[in-house]
Amino acid sequence: MDPVTDPLPDGPPTSGGESSPTGGDDLYAVLGLEPRASREQVERAYRFCLELYGEGSLATYSLLDPTEAEQQRLRVREAYEVLVDEEKRRAYDEGQGFSPPDAVVLPFPVPANAEHAAELPEVLTGADLRKIREARGLSLRHIAAVTKIGVRFLEYVEEDRFAFLPAPVYLKGFLHEYARLVGIDPRRAAEAYMSRIPAKG
Amino acid sequence: MALSVSEVLPVAAPRTRRQIWSIGGGKGGIGKSLIAASVGWQLARMGRRVVLVDADLGGANLHTCLGLPAPPRTLADFIQRRVSSLEDVLTDTPAGGLRLISGAADLLSAANIKHLQKVRVMKQVRALDVDVVLIDLGAGTSYNILDFFLLSDVSILAVVPEPTSIENGYRFIKSALYRRLRAAAPTEGIRQLVESALDPKNPYGIRTPLDLLARVDAEDPEAARALRREVSAFQPRFVVNEVRDVADVAIGHQLVAACGRHLGLRASYAGFVHHDDAVWQAVRRRRLFMCDAPTSRAAEEIRQLTRGLVKGESLGSGY
Repeated sequence: MDPVTDPLPDGPPTSGGESSPTGGDDLYAVLGLEPRASREQVERAYRFCLELYGEGSLATYSLLDPTEAEQQRLRVREAYEVLVDEEKRRAYDEGQGFSPPDAVVLPFPVPANAEHAAELPEVLTGADLRKIREARGLSLRHIAAVTKIGVRFLEYVEEDRFAFLPAPVYLKGFLHEYARLVGIDPRRAAEAYMSRIPAKG
Repeated sequence: MALSVSEVLPVAAPRTRRQIWSIGGGKGGIGKSLIAASVGWQLARMGRRVVLVDADLGGANLHTCLGLPAPPRTLADFIQRRVSSLEDVLTDTPAGGLRLISGAADLLSAANIKHLQKVRVMKQVRALDVDVVLIDLGAGTSYNILDFFLLSDVSILAVVPEPTSIENGYRFIKSALYRRLRAAAPTEGIRQLVESALDPKNPYGIRTPLDLLARVDAEDPEAARALRREVSAFQPRFVVNEVRDVADVAIGHQLVAACGRHLGLRASYAGFVHHDDAVWQAVRRRRLFMCDAPTSRAAEEIRQLTRGLVKGESLGSGY
């Protein structure tokens, strides 16, 4: 149950390879989380682990052979699929004897899958974005910290203050990052938002 | 530099007594000397009395990083007993509070100093009347380098976001850890087991420290407990140098996670330094960028790194 960032050498072996992908692993430990982790932390940990075990990952390619890395990716995906799903996570927690996390810390908004991404409207306003973000329980400060985009710019985006926004090429990048974090399709979201910006003469 | 890195986690708090810090990394040319010089400079600015030791005995250049001519006396003079005390080879630098013990550029054999000479150096290093002794280890994983790394209170491992550097970084970590475990092995049999683990083709199929501990546990649970304590106490701190984007910064977090998950080690991420033109421009003028370009991004990051190291803090988990 220790998060991976604080591995205790006498804890359960976490070395890759020997355990079966599903075999009795602590799903939280697989993602390096604690049982009280919020939905947002699950998402971030998932992305982190996918990068950690991604093909050609600098941090792991010399420690794991390709089969082991694939196995790790499998475990990570399986853990994520349970922990990101409200029902499955509750069932898992109960099975493990974890007390259910405080109700308020776990916003379970619309899942970020392709199906829902396809339902994005043609036009997105800053207020729409804010609604999506708030539904996910993400603060602007958090998005700023992860993306390195200034909070100020993120506010301008949500307030539709086009005059203060950077050149389209940068804005698009900002919107991609923002969309990725709140779990909507980055390309569509950027297009839907930017469709409202008057072209400069 | 607001990243996900504003969250700080306490790691082992540094003790208040005199400390030995060392910077290693296995690979040459990744900026160890510049980091050592600039962190040392910053420590001095923060009011610490600091001695920088250029232990890169094959390719000493710390003095150049600090904008000094080659000092008349070097560590070689001490090793070869031309002077009796380390104090005699100290060189003042323009930064008050920061002094330098230069390496021995002229002495190829020094990279392989003998055990007794090493013990004498270590003893006198410990006896220096300062707040921090900061040792710039050379490239490589020779026993001398590993031993200085292991005797340090703060063991810093520098890497750059490149495969060769990271491979060498892992090799360095494993070599240092196994050397520590070998020294702590309670019996001859366990010692041999530790030694065999260094050979990637060992007959026991031991590939990582976790494998080794499992194997030792099967043979001698008492010994395994002793070795686990050594593993817990071994806490290298990563510094990622020459980062260029967010993905490079994230590599430090990934290294820490990989060390925990696959080597069973409690590493931490002390900080990162961006690739910055101000650094090489200063190097070319034979000046330290900390004084030449104090407002540069690299200088600010060195200040953050140093503050974190002093407080024993590291960057968060990366997510």
